[in-house]
Amino acid sequence: MEFGTEKKGGLKTIWQKFYKEYSVILVAAVIFILATIFESSNFCSTQNIVNIVRNNAVIGVLALGMAFVIISGNIDLSVGSQLVAVGSIILAVINATSNIVIGIVVGIICSCLFSLITGLIVTKGRVPSFVVTLGLMNIYRSVCMYFMSGGGFYGSSKAYANISNYSLGNLIPLPIIYLLIVFAIYYYISKYTKLGRYIYAVGSNEKATRLSGINTDWVKIKAFILMGLSVGIAAVIETSRMNSMNASSSGTSYEMNAIAMVVIGGVSMSGGKGNLISAFFGIFILGIINNILTLMGVDVFLVNAIKGCIIILAVVLQKKEKI
Amino acid sequence: MAEYAMKMNNIVKSFDGVCVLKDISLEVGLGEIHTLLGENGAGKSTLMNILGGVLPMDSGELYLFGEKVKIQNPSESQDLGIAFIHQELNVVNDLKVYENMFLGYELANKLGKLDKKTMCQKTQEVFERMNVEIDPNAMVRDLAASYKQIIEIAKALLRNAKIIIMDEPTTSLTTPEIENVFRIMRTLVRENVSIIFISHKLGEVVDFCDCYTVLRNGEKVCEGKITDKSGYKVTTTELAKQMVGRDVLGVNVYKEHEISDVILEVDNVRVGNYAKNISFSLRRGEILGFTGLLGDGKEELVRSLFGDMKIDEGTVKLHGKVVKISSPKKAHKLRIGFLPANRKENAIIKDLSIEENMTISTLRDCCRGITVIHKKEKEIALKYKQILKIKTGDLKNKITSLSGGNQQKVIFARWMNTLPEVIILCNPTQGVDVGAKNEIYNEIYELAKKGVAIIITSGEAQEIIKLSDRVKVMYHGEIKGELSHNELSEETIMILATGAKL
Repeated sequence: MEFGTEKKGGLKTIWQKFYKEYSVILVAAVIFILATIFESSNFCSTQNIVNIVRNNAVIGVLALGMAFVIISGNIDLSVGSQLVAVGSIILAVINATSNIVIGIVVGIICSCLFSLITGLIVTKGRVPSFVVTLGLMNIYRSVCMYFMSGGGFYGSSKAYANISNYSLGNLIPLPIIYLLIVFAIYYYISKYTKLGRYIYAVGSNEKATRLSGINTDWVKIKAFILMGLSVGIAAVIETSRMNSMNASSSGTSYEMNAIAMVVIGGVSMSGGKGNLISAFFGIFILGIINNILTLMGVDVFLVNAIKGCIIILAVVLQKKEKI
Repeated sequence: MAEYAMKMNNIVKSFDGVCVLKDISLEVGLGEIHTLLGENGAGKSTLMNILGGVLPMDSGELYLFGEKVKIQNPSESQDLGIAFIHQELNVVNDLKVYENMFLGYELANKLGKLDKKTMCQKTQEVFERMNVEIDPNAMVRDLAASYKQIIEIAKALLRNAKIIIMDEPTTSLTTPEIENVFRIMRTLVRENVSIIFISHKLGEVVDFCDCYTVLRNGEKVCEGKITDKSGYKVTTTELAKQMVGRDVLGVNVYKEHEISDVILEVDNVRVGNYAKNISFSLRRGEILGFTGLLGDGKEELVRSLFGDMKIDEGTVKLHGKVVKISSPKKAHKLRIGFLPANRKENAIIKDLSIEENMTISTLRDCCRGITVIHKKEKEIALKYKQILKIKTGDLKNKITSLSGGNQQKVIFARWMNTLPEVIILCNPTQGVDVGAKNEIYNEIYELAKKGVAIIITSGEAQEIIKLSDRVKVMYHGEIKGELSHNELSEETIMILATGAKL
């Protein structure tokens, strides 16, 4: 008798713990089920689901990097423009050297360097990241427009396009694989490395973390560099998909979508809280909603309004600490 | 009018089936300072939260001035004339004094323009009633801690509070400041305001309060007058015994221990305008105390020794070699530990678990390659849970789920695990109850026995006297004198701390 009640209590607490940490997964499941019920004919096809994931792979990769930056207590508004800049560098290098590998490596390194600079200004210059990245957002975009005369930029290597357009077994497009690999690595960093732990600690209480003997400036800079790595990878996926980059239209509002995914995924804007698994599901919640709205034939001009409502609702429903 | 201000009858309260208040009755007379004593977790805060309308009670009755009342939320409690002053000050530093006083209750004319003149005037009136001099137009930021506390009390008076609950109002204050606050409390009592006073400092309780009630594990252990009809005055030892159920205060915790070679030498150090001409040396196994009044520069001095502030002049030698302690990280590498003051702000990482808070400074040792091995972390945490007797069910819980004393033990464990050669402890028992205090003192001696050199800063003279082999007393940024363990007494410390000569 006693044993029985104890076991029940144990299960209950395990469930409570799961609910507290991963309620986002349940929300994703509910949305998925609702979508299946209301739009089963269109929504439930393998092709459609593969499409949802593929279409969100680029912003998804950005969102995973953004999760680290937000957990560390900062924000990065420049990622959309940075993506254009990095993408242009990749295409330019490939066009000049006809070597895909060099192009990708140079692009990703440049992206990490850009973010290193962001991190240095934020930490050493003591400027809020919101302001720094707001400035950088304009700088990247404007410089790209200048060099590309406001227009586009095309890649000459046909092989490069395979990176995003090839499908494994004619079913799973490679961008999905890239997203999963980035997720696996970032999840590992968040959960099983010192850096991951320090990022949470810095976002939660920077002063206490510094007084624990940790170089908090470097932790924040490293979080930005992980963001830079994300932008680099996202730029590769984006440019190879179209084999082009447009200075004025590419990457617009990517940063806002990435932030929205992370926030829907339960990461707190005040830092220190959230987990990568939930953030990963946040990507799909926004993706599925986008897809359903299109399938239901909602007016294109209204889609963003509905998305906006859902973002706010998601945060309202999240469990918050009492003040 | 009834003779009592507040009466609680048979209050019962439980959380998740655990009974935290068992049939508690409490009566507070008009114009009485009634102290509520008990260890952390004894149920004091729960009882006061019921009175303040923060928590509902399961059963029981509440009477105010002869009338039975029901309090369902904090604003109802306020309307009934109850003011709750919390341990952490709730003043807004960036506003002026009068703006703080009227925060949320601003006076304005019909157009919504704030009536600054009346507000200043009313603020002034309250201050006059309390017999204090504060400029209503001063910025709160510029005031000393005791004045901020006084503003909280003034705020309560402005709202016509008849019963004021004060939860450990004196933890962050120095002795003269505490006296200041008590003087004002005395003035209020003459106007028939009743005060319920929670404190861990038994000395001040015996000196200033009228009645006491002691709680232990959710039960009322005893109550009475501090000085009874026959003129007998209850002693701190008796109260402490009642609180923990065993004799603690009488125990002399000072233990002889071996002191060996010099490890740290500080020569002519200056830290900004805070501390200057500081020279001292520290030996292995030695406990060196630093004390003084607020603004004496001891906090800044020890922070500079941990790399949290810049040393502008002078040298620091560790093992005879000159070292530059440029950051806390560097200090950590040099095997200097640091338990900061103001735990909540400087030590607690609130979103991490107990375990993670403990291992944050030694995460490298829990790694295989780049991977953090969670099992190793758990082993370390379990080890210190046993050594320091940390009371918790699950080490995976958030650190904020622990009581103050246990939180402090976790931070202590964080630094014990770094195996420091020098450790700096700032107010090591700030906001910690009597029982846990002695456990922490014992651990400090254990560290000293192992040959760790220890620096302790504390505003509490009692604590410094109990622990230190030697004490440096500071005054206005300079070391005013040194006292050996045998010379230590509250008087000698106070004489040096106020700048006088022995």
